[in-house]
Amino acid sequence: MADPIGSPEIVTAAVRQGLDIPALEVTGARLLAGGAMHDSWGADAVFPDRTDELVVRLSPPARDDTAKSRAEFVVMKAAHERGVRCPKPIYVGENSRGQTFMLMTRMPGETNPRQLVTSPDFAECRRALVQQLAEDIARVHTITPAEVGDALRGPEADAECLSVELERQRIEYERVKINAHPLLEWSFRWMARSIATLAPRTRPLHVVHGDLRVGNIMYDRAGLTANLDWEGTHIGEAEEDISWFLTKVWRFNRRDLAAGGIADRETWVGAYEKYSGFTIDRERLRLWEVFQNVRWSVICMMQAHQHLSGIMDSHEHAAIGRRAADTELEVLRLVGAC
Amino acid sequence: MQDRATALELLDGIGRFLRKQSETQTDRWLRFQLLVASNSLAIVKRELEQEEGHLHEEWRLLDGLLGEAPIPASYGELQSSVRERQDRLCEAISRGAFDEPAREADLLRYLVVETKNRVRITAPSELDD
Repeated sequence: MADPIGSPEIVTAAVRQGLDIPALEVTGARLLAGGAMHDSWGADAVFPDRTDELVVRLSPPARDDTAKSRAEFVVMKAAHERGVRCPKPIYVGENSRGQTFMLMTRMPGETNPRQLVTSPDFAECRRALVQQLAEDIARVHTITPAEVGDALRGPEADAECLSVELERQRIEYERVKINAHPLLEWSFRWMARSIATLAPRTRPLHVVHGDLRVGNIMYDRAGLTANLDWEGTHIGEAEEDISWFLTKVWRFNRRDLAAGGIADRETWVGAYEKYSGFTIDRERLRLWEVFQNVRWSVICMMQAHQHLSGIMDSHEHAAIGRRAADTELEVLRLVGAC
Repeated sequence: MQDRATALELLDGIGRFLRKQSETQTDRWLRFQLLVASNSLAIVKRELEQEEGHLHEEWRLLDGLLGEAPIPASYGELQSSVRERQDRLCEAISRGAFDEPAREADLLRYLVVETKNRVRITAPSELDD
């Protein structure tokens, strides 16, 4: 495992800086999870009358995370104010070593997605969770581009989001392609043709979470406790979040439960429609689902590319390259070819 | 001729060892890495057992899409030639050579076979058949 990019001393200083109390007592600094991009540390801020449970998310010193982290902060704040179950962001800035960090409240719950999807102990949780997630993501989708200023990437207001995202993926595919993928070549072409036949979008663009999946939430036996990992947030359309949750890779072998392995497709989409008040165009959603599986296939390639190009010596990344195959099979199923 | 254990038998043995180690490992990260390694060995084993047959099947279908060509005599040459034909197929797809419905149907038949063949090796439990 990579060495942590922080230390108890760095985390203690970050809490003091974030709360602007230089002499604050900070205890229990420990690494919670090392992500691909950041480390998250838990720490407790001890006041005379209470103790606040906090998280410091640290970026590597060499990574320029300033603009991205500030954008994420603005979106999390807007989401938290709307009642979305997520950490309350407290501070974002740079420490004396030049590292970007975000200070936020620590949420209760578990994060193991496989346990959530497969354990009989969490059956009740799964039933509640699909509704709570739909409620929360519908709230996130009420955040307008004007509210977050120009902090987030996004297409022009009258642009076709799917076309914009498809082009982004095509560029990424060309960058990381490690062998021929005729299925993806055909998918790019088929999608471009199919997008042209869609009914026009009627809903204005809004903020999307960008990485909504069972691996990015916290839960307890009663249901959802927090939506995490807002790094992918941007301006887009609702179908993007709804469809990413439907992508095959997040089902943990529950092929009967397309929505993250916890609900069937219609239960998930219906719950979103109930909480948002918007009807989802099923054909647009199907194209988004095809797109998201293509996107995951490109991500698989990217992971293998990192290993094969020597950026990261990881047999795990090499193996992920082989997972493009079953994702591409899902594309063929979605278009009715098998 | 090499002695036994054969390559496949060696892979089997190492794979079982890694899986057993992962089951008793208390460190979550190491447990996962051992499981991934054992799964990768299973992929290697299935590929050694099945790939040549798959490449012959795909060659015949590629004949229908790109024009007939004599099938290479050696396994190594077959691998590199299928790869080269797939590159040519990608170029043809991207310039619209398979947009016409009948041609697209032929292409999809190939894509289903080729994709399922990859899945048979990487994740056979994902297949219905």
